[in-house]
Amino acid sequence: MSAQAVKSKPKVAFFDFTSCEGCQLNKLNFENELLDILELVDIVEFREAMDDKADAYDIAFIEGSISTPTCIERIHDIRRRSKVLVALGQCAVTGGINAMKNSHPSEWVQETVYGKDKYLFPSIPAQPVSAIVKVDYEVRGCPMSAPEYLHVFKSLVLGRKPEPPDYAVCVECKLKENECVLEKGMFCLGPITRAGCDALCPSNGQYCTGCRGMVSNINEKGAVDMLKKHGFSTEEAIKRMKLFNTNEVDKQISWGRK
Amino acid sequence: MPCYYDLMLYSHCGTKIVKQASNTMWGFLMSKEFNSKLTDLKRYFFNESDVRKFIDFLMTKAEVIAPQTKGEQSFAYNVVKNSSDVALEYPRTMQPLKKYFLPPVETLLTFKMSSNEFSEEVIEAKKQIFFGIHSYEMKGIHLLDYCLGKGKPESNYLKRRANALIIGISYKPDKYHFATSLGIDIEETEGFALFFEKVTEGYLVFVVTDEGAELIKDFSGGKPIDEQVNIEELPQQAKIKYHYNRLPQVFEHVYNSRVWDHFADKCVGCGTCNLLCPTCYCFDVRDEVGLNADDGKRQRFWDGCMLNSFAEVAGGENFRNKLAARMRHRLYRKFSYITKSSGELHCVGCGRCTRYCPADISIVEIINSLIEDYSAQQKKQAV
Ligand code: SF4
Ligand code: SF4
Ligand code: SF4
Ligand code: SF4
Repeated sequence: MSAQAVKSKPKVAFFDFTSCEGCQLNKLNFENELLDILELVDIVEFREAMDDKADAYDIAFIEGSISTPTCIERIHDIRRRSKVLVALGQCAVTGGINAMKNSHPSEWVQETVYGKDKYLFPSIPAQPVSAIVKVDYEVRGCPMSAPEYLHVFKSLVLGRKPEPPDYAVCVECKLKENECVLEKGMFCLGPITRAGCDALCPSNGQYCTGCRGMVSNINEKGAVDMLKKHGFSTEEAIKRMKLFNTNEVDKQISWGRK
Repeated sequence: MPCYYDLMLYSHCGTKIVKQASNTMWGFLMSKEFNSKLTDLKRYFFNESDVRKFIDFLMTKAEVIAPQTKGEQSFAYNVVKNSSDVALEYPRTMQPLKKYFLPPVETLLTFKMSSNEFSEEVIEAKKQIFFGIHSYEMKGIHLLDYCLGKGKPESNYLKRRANALIIGISYKPDKYHFATSLGIDIEETEGFALFFEKVTEGYLVFVVTDEGAELIKDFSGGKPIDEQVNIEELPQQAKIKYHYNRLPQVFEHVYNSRVWDHFADKCVGCGTCNLLCPTCYCFDVRDEVGLNADDGKRQRFWDGCMLNSFAEVAGGENFRNKLAARMRHRLYRKFSYITKSSGELHCVGCGRCTRYCPADISIVEIINSLIEDYSAQQKKQAV
C-alpha cells in the first residue's frame, strides 16, 4: 500500500444505536491521535449531527445494540450503503450490558422502564449488530478499547486486514508480568475473556469482568468449573459470565447446567 | 563468627551439609552416598551482609538483575537498584529468565512505507550479571540455547546470551517444584560462575568458573573454607513416579490416552502455562503502522500452543482446535518431539505452569496419570 492510495480519502460514517455513548466519549479521550486519523478520512456522518448525508460510505462504524423494530430497518439501510461495516463497542458486538434484559420477560422489562407508556416504545431483545446484518470487523470493549479502535481504523484506511486478538486477557497480563489477581483471593474472567485491552483491569489491581466478550471456541464446562473454584455455584458462575455476554452464554446452552 | 562448619549444618533449602570426617569408614560412606556436584569446588563463607555487599560490588561491574518482590505475593527478575531489594529466598519468579534474552515484546525492525525502507534494531552488547538464579532456571536457559542455536540461529537471543554472567543460588522446594524428579539437582552448577548455598548462618559460596574466582578475588570479602563439605539433597514434595529417563518411552505409548481428555476438560486455554514456561519459545510476529500511515514497526510477541488462535491458519482453519490436542502437543514438545534430537527433556520442573494455572491443572498429575495409563497397558500386554 502506498501513500498515494491514501489520497482518495475514504468516506467514514458513525451511527448510534442503543448504547450509553460511552464509546463516543472514549473516542474523544484520544483527540490527538484522532486529529491524525481525521487527516486520512472524510467524516460524512457523525451521530447524524451533520447535514451532509452521503449516499454511500466506505466505512460505517456502528455503535450500540439492536433493540427496537426501527433499529432493524435502520441497520439494513446502513448496511446497504456501506462497503465495510464495523461494530464498535461491546453493545454492537455482542449486545453487551443491554442484553442483560434478555434474561427477563420482555413485558416486565418494558413495564419497569416505561411504566404505563410501555406500548409507545416497542422493544425487542437486545441483539448484536451481527444478528441482523453482516459485520465485517469488530472493536470490542465496554467502553470500546481505544488502541483496538485505532488499529482497526488505521488498518482499514491503509487497506490492510485488521487483526484483533482472539486469545485470553491472561496473555496480556503475563506479557506484562502483572501479579495475577487470583493471588489476592479475587476471581477473574481474564482466562476466558478476549484480550485487546492490554489487561487494563488486572494491571490496575482489579479483576476482569469480561467486558470484551469471550474468546472463540471456549471450553464452557471448564469455565464454569474454574469459577466454581472461587466458591460460586453453577448458576452464580453463569451469572458472572453473563454480565457482558448474555447472548453468547445463552447461545451455548448447557454450560455444565443439568 | 558462628561455627558454620561444625559437624552438621542444616541448610534452609532442604539440603543437609555434612562436614566430611575424612579417612574414616563413615566418611567414606558419606561421600559416596551424598556425593554432590559441589564437593570438589573451592568455597567461601558469606554472611548475609557479605552477600549484600557482594551485590553492591557486582553493581560496580555491570548491570545486575536479580529476583525481587513484585505485588503482594510474587517475585520477578528486575534490574537491581538497591542490593537490599534482592530476594535471596524465593520459590520462583513469574516470568522466567528468558525474558532478558527473548523479551516478551521485541521490536525487530522499523520501516517506512512510502520509501520502502527498513532498519533492523541494534542489539546492545552490554554485559549483564544475573544474581540469585535457581538451577532449574539455568537448565531452562541451556535448553533454549539448544533450541535457538541450532538450524538458523536466533541472533538476537544469542547476542544477549553471550554477554550474560550468571550466579546461582539454592532454593527451598515448595509443593510445585519437581526439578529433582527430572534429574536437575538443587546444587547443579553448570552454567553458573558462582553458586550460593544457603546454610543456617549465611551462605557457602562455591567457585564454579575462573570468571567466578576472579570476582571473588576482586571482592576480597567472605572467608575461605578449607574443609570438605558434602551436601545431601532432600526429596522435593512433587514427584514423578518413574525415573525421568523412562519418560520418553512412556510418551511413545500415550498419544491416544484418555488422560488428555480428562485434563483438557478442566482447561480454559488461557495460555498461561506456555507464556510462563522457561523452555517455551514460540512467538508471533505483527506489523503495526503509525498514525501517519507511513512509519511502522515489526514486533514479535511470546505466543503459546495452548491458545485457540495458535494453530489457526489463513482462512480460519484450525488444525488443533481441541484443547486435548493442544495440551498433548504442549507436553509432547517437552517430553518427546525435541527430546528426540536433543536427548534431553524440555521441562525443567519449575512448577510455573501448575502454580499459575487458573484451572489448577498440575503437570505432575498429568505425567503421573500418563505413567499409570502406560503401566496398565504394559500389564495388559503381559497377560
Ligand atoms: S489477573 Fe486475571 S487476566 Fe490476569 S493472569 Fe490473572 S486470571 Fe488472567
Ligand atoms: S480486563 Fe476485562 S473487564 Fe477490564 S477492560 Fe479488559 S476485558 Fe474489560
Ligand atoms: S494455564 Fe491451565 S487453564 Fe490455562 S491453558 Fe494452561 S492448562 Fe489450560
Ligand atoms: S512445563 Fe511447566 S514445570 Fe516444565 S518447565 Fe515449563 S513451566 Fe516449568
